[in-house]
Amino acid sequence: MARTASRIHEVPDDLLAAIDYCYEQGWTDGLPVVPPVVDRVDAMLARQSRPAETVIATHPATGLELSLHAAAVNSVMAGCLPEHFPVVVAAFEAMNKPDFNFHGSTASTGGSAPLLIVSGTYGDEIGMNSDVNLFGPGNRANATIGRAVRLILRNVFQMLPGISDKSTQGNPGKYSFCIAERARGNPWPPLCATQGYPAGVSTVTAYAGGGFCNVENHGGNTPEQVLASVADAMANYGCITLGQSVVILAPEHMRIVAGTGWTREDAQNFLFTHAKRSVEGMKNVGKYRDREYDTQHGGAAHALAEQGFVHRGLSPADILITMGGGDAGGHSCFIPSWSRGRGSILQHSAIST
Amino acid sequence: MQLYAPTSSGPKRKSFRAPPLASLEGLRIGILENGKLNAEEMLREVGALFVERHGCTIRPIYSKSNASAPAPSTTLVKAAQDVDFLITGLGD
Repeated sequence: MARTASRIHEVPDDLLAAIDYCYEQGWTDGLPVVPPVVDRVDAMLARQSRPAETVIATHPATGLELSLHAAAVNSVMAGCLPEHFPVVVAAFEAMNKPDFNFHGSTASTGGSAPLLIVSGTYGDEIGMNSDVNLFGPGNRANATIGRAVRLILRNVFQMLPGISDKSTQGNPGKYSFCIAERARGNPWPPLCATQGYPAGVSTVTAYAGGGFCNVENHGGNTPEQVLASVADAMANYGCITLGQSVVILAPEHMRIVAGTGWTREDAQNFLFTHAKRSVEGMKNVGKYRDREYDTQHGGAAHALAEQGFVHRGLSPADILITMGGGDAGGHSCFIPSWSRGRGSILQHSAIST
Repeated sequence: MQLYAPTSSGPKRKSFRAPPLASLEGLRIGILENGKLNAEEMLREVGALFVERHGCTIRPIYSKSNASAPAPSTTLVKAAQDVDFLITGLGD
């Protein structure tokens, strides 16, 4: 159990001085934080029915523990409102599952960041953005929930840039990388339903995202044309590994794909089939490995895995697809996984409100 | 104004270094490769130096399927029984 006897720092009653004090302590991501005053932290914790000392995540290498209390302190600093806090908690409950490997995906030169996708009605209830400028600035919930996750990795788990976070270049999502799945006009079942949760339960999915790849196609008018663009992005030589994928289809693209009756499974099958590179091509760029090819084409190979090719992922189920973004524009995106292929497997958790 | 520290307030895990070996002569070496490109090749070369210089014996190679996750405890328990010291390191 983590101790609730958190250290109190006495600072002058001057807000700007308190912000500067947080900088001096090394508690920030480079941007100013909201000073974690006691009453704001208490308000955050009031959203939880569990004791403040409840441990929700543990660092596998150092044993450092994340209590609800510490999560609340960092959520205040990030600018979260109390209603945002259950999402932060659920995110770490997902990230704490061993196969997510939050230590490796944070410490690695690969520079990934936890992408959070909120599915279900709770995102709308707390005013999250699933619409125009989906990954951009301007929405408090999206911005601060993602930021809270980063501050916790830094302050609680001591994943410090240059010391224990060795990202070669990192990516902008390391400030905040949090979206809501768009329900409005979405023809496919929400992720939370496909993940097997009961109706009415919202979820957060955590995925170690290695960056952001815009997929532009304003001329394609068939599912095959649109998804071929996505598959090409997924299979670019810089990104292709056996790792998982996240694809967020713009509403324009979704209307083309689903408008002819394609299901999510149809799209996953198409993308897995076409997001591939030849063995020869992989050898030409120095990225071919027998071990990985054998993993994809061995006894447990998926029926769509083609001999002589390296596909992205091990099966169509490795490709998470949903819809997000504004109504206008043929701009979807592919989020590559952390560079180490299957070193992190996406996880999800229910949001307890 | 009172601020809470945002750091972990739980106890830190205590870890200890193993005592140094009195001698390397004739000892059994374990190699733990992490699956990265060239890791096994590099570690085999390092092991060969111990064989050449100290008459060590290399035991079968242990592998991790995930370079960035801790080695499974079953792997470490087995290695502890089979070897006198273990070499590991990063590939790439």
